[in-house]
Amino acid sequence: MSPNLLLLLLILMFLSLSITSSLSSPSPADSPPYLWPLPAEFSFGNETLSVDPSVALIVAGNGGGSPIVRAAFERYMGMIFKHASGRASLLARIRFLRMVEYDITSLKIVVHSGSDELHLGVDESYTLMVSKKNEQSIVGAVTIEANTVYGALRGLETFSQLCAFDYLTKSVQIYKAPWYIQDKPRFQYRGLLIDTSRHYLPIDVIKQIIESMSFAKLNVLHWHIVDEQSFPLETPTYPNLWKGAYSRWERYTVEDASEIVRFAKMRGINVMPEVDVPGHAESWGTGYPDLWPSLSCREPLDVTKNFTFDVISGILADMRKIFPFELFHLGGDEVNTDCWKNTTHVKEWLQGRNFTTKDAYKYFVLRAQQIAISKNWTPVNWEETFSSFGKYLDPRTVVHNWLVSDICQKAVAKGFRCIFSNQGYWYLDHLDVPWDEVYNTEPLHGINETSHQKLVIGGEVCMWGETADTSVVLQTIWPRAAAAAERMWSTREAVSKGNITLTALPRLRYFRCLLNNRGVPAAPVDNFYARRPPSGPGSCYAQ
Amino acid sequence: MRGRGAKIAGVLPLFTLFMAGAISAFEDIERLRIWPLPAEVSHGGRRMYLSGDFKLVTERSKYEDTSGILKEGFDRMLGVVRLSHVVSGGRNSSRSGGSALLQGLHVIISSSTDELEYGADESYKLVVPSPEKPSYAHLEAKSVYGALHGLQTFSQLCHFNLKKKIIEILMTPWNITDQPRFSYRGLLIDTSRHYLPLPVIKNVIESMTYAKLNVLHWHIVDTQSFPLEIPSYPKLWNGAYSSSQRYTFDDAAEIVNYAQRRGIHVLAEIDVPGHALSWGKGYPSLWPSKNCQEPLDVSSNFTFKVIDGILSDFSKIFKFKFVHLGGDEVNTTCWSATPRIAQWLKKHRMSEEEAYQYFVLRAQKIALSHGYEIINWEETFNNFGSKLNPKTVVHNWLGTGVVERVTASGLRCIVSNQDKWYLDHIDAPWQGFYDNEPLQDIKDKKQQSLVLGGEVCMWGEHIDASDIEQTIWPRAAAAAERLWTPYAKLATNPDKVTTRLAHFRCLLNQRGVAAAPLVGGGRVVPLEPGSCLAQ
Repeated sequence: MSPNLLLLLLILMFLSLSITSSLSSPSPADSPPYLWPLPAEFSFGNETLSVDPSVALIVAGNGGGSPIVRAAFERYMGMIFKHASGRASLLARIRFLRMVEYDITSLKIVVHSGSDELHLGVDESYTLMVSKKNEQSIVGAVTIEANTVYGALRGLETFSQLCAFDYLTKSVQIYKAPWYIQDKPRFQYRGLLIDTSRHYLPIDVIKQIIESMSFAKLNVLHWHIVDEQSFPLETPTYPNLWKGAYSRWERYTVEDASEIVRFAKMRGINVMPEVDVPGHAESWGTGYPDLWPSLSCREPLDVTKNFTFDVISGILADMRKIFPFELFHLGGDEVNTDCWKNTTHVKEWLQGRNFTTKDAYKYFVLRAQQIAISKNWTPVNWEETFSSFGKYLDPRTVVHNWLVSDICQKAVAKGFRCIFSNQGYWYLDHLDVPWDEVYNTEPLHGINETSHQKLVIGGEVCMWGETADTSVVLQTIWPRAAAAAERMWSTREAVSKGNITLTALPRLRYFRCLLNNRGVPAAPVDNFYARRPPSGPGSCYAQ
Repeated sequence: MRGRGAKIAGVLPLFTLFMAGAISAFEDIERLRIWPLPAEVSHGGRRMYLSGDFKLVTERSKYEDTSGILKEGFDRMLGVVRLSHVVSGGRNSSRSGGSALLQGLHVIISSSTDELEYGADESYKLVVPSPEKPSYAHLEAKSVYGALHGLQTFSQLCHFNLKKKIIEILMTPWNITDQPRFSYRGLLIDTSRHYLPLPVIKNVIESMTYAKLNVLHWHIVDTQSFPLEIPSYPKLWNGAYSSSQRYTFDDAAEIVNYAQRRGIHVLAEIDVPGHALSWGKGYPSLWPSKNCQEPLDVSSNFTFKVIDGILSDFSKIFKFKFVHLGGDEVNTTCWSATPRIAQWLKKHRMSEEEAYQYFVLRAQKIALSHGYEIINWEETFNNFGSKLNPKTVVHNWLGTGVVERVTASGLRCIVSNQDKWYLDHIDAPWQGFYDNEPLQDIKDKKQQSLVLGGEVCMWGEHIDASDIEQTIWPRAAAAAERLWTPYAKLATNPDKVTTRLAHFRCLLNQRGVAAAPLVGGGRVVPLEPGSCLAQ
């Protein structure tokens, strides 16, 4: 930290301490602007500051010059100054000529690390300081300081949530300044699953989803690309695979997938691809019928053939060029092995090896794991693999919970890492789970040892696509995904104590309206069933 | 494959002739996948590609495009065409045969003005490739707004070639001559029942252009909230739901500007004297009394001063020749129930009904004084049609037969019968939207010409930013074809156009518009996995 910054920090801390006696527990319900997810530590004062529509970006540190920072700054300026009298509009220029003095005229972003490598556990912490420029302060206005560009992105999001358009002065204001925020996520993995097999999602829609994730500080897009219904992705090594797409229209090229990864990275979001084997893979056989046990019995993939594993290896080799994230999801759930039992050549193969179908399932999953590991990937598998043959799984495996509520507890006790996605609460396609149940679901429930807790790398809300296409996907995701996002970002203390009707609900309503204001069609918070229309006329903040 | 065969130059003319002979067939037109269907289309069987730096050329065009409307429209068109996939094969596309490569689009516009005038020529002629300049597509229009429609059609001819990873146009040469059947093709949005944020309104406007709709009817204010800033009466927007669910005067100007650059008029509505309770939040004297708050106080001059102030402010930003004064569903009991007003009625020897007429006509005069022509909901016509100003356009919503009576009386009419064209009726399927004929039972040519067009209405009681797009689309598109395409080309059985409409809804999805599946009524969700094209 530079001496200047240190000094500023001290001044700020002094200021905020002197203004707010209770630093850690302000009542969010009566302190707009509302922040979501709640930062780890923050303090605020009682001043209102105006923000210059042509606020200048000043960067410092090894990573300050990153194009990721510059692009994010431009994005957020567009969101903050979206009203017509906003940034660089004619009116703003006239105001400027009239020499209106704004309190905030510059935004300083300090990024210490020059590396913009995005990986699991990347440092997302930041500090955000907002204060009025005055004679005492050396650096005026707003400073975001972070170790990485991704921390800076999180800080920019928080900054944008402090800014509100004031309709009387027609300017953007920050209330309750000075602000001092020191923030970092509780979990390193904060995911959202999308499913492009049950319904194809156009690239623009996937980008809308990614953009909206960044508003809630989610950081992993789990892309369940393929399933039994369709195979939309181009695989150069096995070019017939995407014949399993619904139509020529409903496909992703390699370049499309790379563009999605690039777009996500610009927002600090990792993309974890999934190839779900050996079940959930029927669509593979549309291009290569040999992958089916037989024409009449098509799932799971034929365990007997080397070709099956050649194809997996080919897919993973192609995908490795697209997806730099270290985690790769191999699925492994809901494997009904009847086809193996009922197909003559598979049955003979099983007998020859003295395999039960369960042995064959294990054999398949472990062989697929080795392929992923050989491509320098860490395998993630759905929990059935752990519950069926946990002790054989590669020790690097990350177990992905969905079925049983205490599976993470068991997995971490065995030393595995775990991702929490309990279907009773965090499956977004379950429309009868209201926001408070999503919010109150704790990934560390029942896990008390610190060493075990550390193995729960985070959680994920799952937007399965059977009944969610472009027309409803965003309103099924939001606002409930935001409830989980705060659970995973904010301190456990902050999300666990108090009456959430007072501590969380008003802020969540506010965040939902913020999403709407940014063009994200988040559904009303108060409806019991997800994605239902508002029950009647009314204010966004009351529905 | 198909294109490769057709590329052999010698075969081309024959092939074209063959195809031209076949285009009269209805099935072939349906295969074209253009929505709304153009007035006249012919096509060949040859495949062409868009160059990686496909450009806009405007030589010999009278229109200078100093405002950039054409250039922006061209860039938007290329943007949506390239939205479906990353175009990565453009660099050495000359390999795919120089003569099959389109270098750009040559646009020739004969009118030099870019004023958006109601009823102005929206026609265009699109030829791909240009006979004189075979490496260019050719678009001709009277006005820049006609050219924008041509760009929309062009965008629907473009597809992504999954092998070459570039944009292609199949079935060239194309020869399209097109113009709308009706000059008023509207969509109503309602920002009083629920506030719609600016980006949401802009998305709605943008999506309207895809279906060639041209009027955004902005029902700004109603009983529930008053979101718009009115500089002359600055307390009116105290009636907003909250301090942030508001539009500044500049915001409204920005919406008008955004729409105008896309060839879309914005029709502003204040619905008087009913549907105006929220006005009194800022100025309680507009209410008959504190406990009887609607309709507006007919007895007070202040009421009409406020209307005058609003319309005076409107005239600075809403440049459309029409303003909508509402006038529907007026329950006048508050007037006789309030002693002050009851006395006033007595003094002026007016019944409640006469006071209603007095109010509407006085509001009409105010609008006329600000240079507007007036649109009123049909109750005004049904109650005192003969008294309405001859410049009135009657907006149908309730009954059938109204259009006939209105046009017989010499007034103009806009069709929005609620049983078919109210989008908030979510049990109304798209087939009904397609089928609804504005000229139903109107035989007289003169009367027909008085039907300006129609409008689908997205009332906002259950509509907010979360569900507006999927409630509007794809059903509004069904009505859009009814309003655009020549009557003779419309399907008599809407089910015949299902495949083409499904294709258009998937196109909307691809452009990021949350258009709902076709199967069922409005805003249905997919019931099971499946292709967009089949749901």
